[in-house]
Amino acid sequence: MNRMRVFIFLFSLAALSCGRKDDAIEIQFWNFGGTPNFIEWVRNRVDMFNKTHPGVRVVISDKSWNMIREILYANYSAGTAPDIMTLHANEAADYGEAGFFYPINTFPDFEQVKKWYQPNLLESTRYKGNYYGLPGSAIAFVLVCNKDLFDAEGITPPKTWSEFREAARRLTKGTDGDGSIDQYGLVLLGGDKGGFAYRLAPFILKAGGRILSDDLKTVTFNSPRAVAALKLFTDMYQVDHSITPGFLAYTMSEIGDLFCSNKVAMSIEGPWFKVMVEEKSPGKEFYTVPVPVPDDMLDQYDTAPTLQDMVMYPINAHTKHPNEAWEFVKFLRNEEADMSWVQKNLGGIATTVHALNSPEAASRKDWLVYKNELAHALPWPPHPSINAIARNVITPYGEKAIVGELTPSVAMEQAAREAQAILEGRK
Amino acid sequence: MKRSTPYLLLAPALLFTAFVLAYPLVQNIVNSFREISLIKGAGSWTGFGNYANVFRDALFWLSFRNTVVYAIVGTVLALLIGLGFALLLNDRIGKITGIAGFLYTIPWVVSPVVAGFAWKWLLNDTFGIANHWLVSAGIVKKGFSWLGNPQTALLCVAVARVWQFYPFAMVMFLAGLQTIPKEQYEAAAVDGTSPLRGFYHITLPNLRSVTSVLVLLGVIWSFNDFNMVFVMTRGGPINASMVLPVLVREYSFVHFDVGKGSALSILVFGLLISLSFVYLKVLSRRESL
Repeated sequence: MNRMRVFIFLFSLAALSCGRKDDAIEIQFWNFGGTPNFIEWVRNRVDMFNKTHPGVRVVISDKSWNMIREILYANYSAGTAPDIMTLHANEAADYGEAGFFYPINTFPDFEQVKKWYQPNLLESTRYKGNYYGLPGSAIAFVLVCNKDLFDAEGITPPKTWSEFREAARRLTKGTDGDGSIDQYGLVLLGGDKGGFAYRLAPFILKAGGRILSDDLKTVTFNSPRAVAALKLFTDMYQVDHSITPGFLAYTMSEIGDLFCSNKVAMSIEGPWFKVMVEEKSPGKEFYTVPVPVPDDMLDQYDTAPTLQDMVMYPINAHTKHPNEAWEFVKFLRNEEADMSWVQKNLGGIATTVHALNSPEAASRKDWLVYKNELAHALPWPPHPSINAIARNVITPYGEKAIVGELTPSVAMEQAAREAQAILEGRK
Repeated sequence: MKRSTPYLLLAPALLFTAFVLAYPLVQNIVNSFREISLIKGAGSWTGFGNYANVFRDALFWLSFRNTVVYAIVGTVLALLIGLGFALLLNDRIGKITGIAGFLYTIPWVVSPVVAGFAWKWLLNDTFGIANHWLVSAGIVKKGFSWLGNPQTALLCVAVARVWQFYPFAMVMFLAGLQTIPKEQYEAAAVDGTSPLRGFYHITLPNLRSVTSVLVLLGVIWSFNDFNMVFVMTRGGPINASMVLPVLVREYSFVHFDVGKGSALSILVFGLLISLSFVYLKVLSRRESL
């Protein structure tokens, strides 16, 4: 009798375990960063996919955006990288060169999928003829102007460098009557390596300068126009004192606090800024305008390119389930999903033609600026070393010029020499 | 008990140690002699090429100098403050009580990451309380960017380091003070020795071995300190507070040159292991006294 009971118990246990066996293909998706709204949205999207695709189970993990490169490189080296991840499109060259990403143009329906996206945005995921990810949210660097301060001063957002400098000068003042300055015209991001290069590059590009030559073999960010862009910041810091003195220690958090507490009037930002301001100071208004151009280029104010950046969704080249991963990426980034970027404040700009041209998009005032800027914007040049150049060369030399350790032209010359050595593999 | 039994009992711990300590160390040494990048993977053997690259890098020498300054300032000031508090606690001078002594040790138990963020906000040029006090007291006219200024950033991080290290020094000094025989002070008092002379001729000599240990530990821990610097300044502004542990990360995970990063970490390791030997020597001499 006892034996029979044991047998029934074991049989039930085995039957239960068989019933729980999950044959679904598991796809690991690492989401780096994102606003709280976006994280909630992407989790819902994953749930939706899992419900509608019974044979596949996507497992999402949230990771720190600040450590994205360390985490991904370490995991690729260890062979534990996820099937799908989020990443800046400007990493396509770096990772593509390393053979980390799956060339998504090899999927049979790619040509069809390609038509969803604004062409120049999709192009920034391309390296040496291969596309390495579907566009996520797009970023165009613009100038955000504190409406309270601009209105109080009775000035409008600047269009030229002269107007920009003058606006910053006028908006730099003491406000509490103690004789010291407690409101500044401009804040720059200096406490995050690379952040500064992303603020300088839009001015270089708007002035007609370029970072590298078209064949990616020569550094060109030391051109007179690029040096002039750096000199503009240098003069504002050293002569006008209209840039916050402590910018070298600022991260995004401090910039948001300064802006929301009316301590600064302008900053060079992207679409995430609206989300950050709404979190810190609900209802606070600001103007979103193109980055100013040199005075002699006023006619190109809204056609000269700014810096474009974008989040993309690449697939691991070593994934065991490329087709399932591709299905998920398409689900995450199709035209219907992209409408969420228009309807909700997720911290980025849509990338599909459908969403960008939708009536809802047209009704968002700040989006008109972003949409227009994105149409002309240029990404960082698609070179595997571009991130190293931006973070380790342009940023420190640019900052040295601003604080007066080097003149702008010497700083850019030294930076160009170092960057050229990197391009040529000598460093 | 069989002769092999102790070894068998020790084996799991030894294996674990070998896995988490010896393997990474050996791998790091191997990496330091190879051209190895996280992007391109392992390349050819370079001999001492990575070490030569480290020595040729101006940033290494700047970081080395910064690390030495950070270690000296962080250790010396922490020891002086720790000794001061230990003397107050030992003599129960003023309102110093056991509870106060406990409160003074709190910085030691705060996570360096949390402490780093707290100090970063304390020193913020616009919203920081340090500037608020300085402006209120009329010492400065407007908030100063302590961490955004290349001249002051390293010093500020060292001050934060002092804040975190002094409680340990205080506890150690207090323990040392309590071992000094009272008879020595009584005999000195009979001879008419002033308290200050007593401090120089009795207290300090008796604390010599504690001080040696604290100096060595302070220097070793400062040389190893990544968290405080990384959280407060990330080595900036413009590398003004770059120290060796942060530079190892820069080489390995910002420049993705693992070979060079490994070479630097081995150099730091060699330096620290030498200091550790000195520490052990001091410790053994102290125990033999």
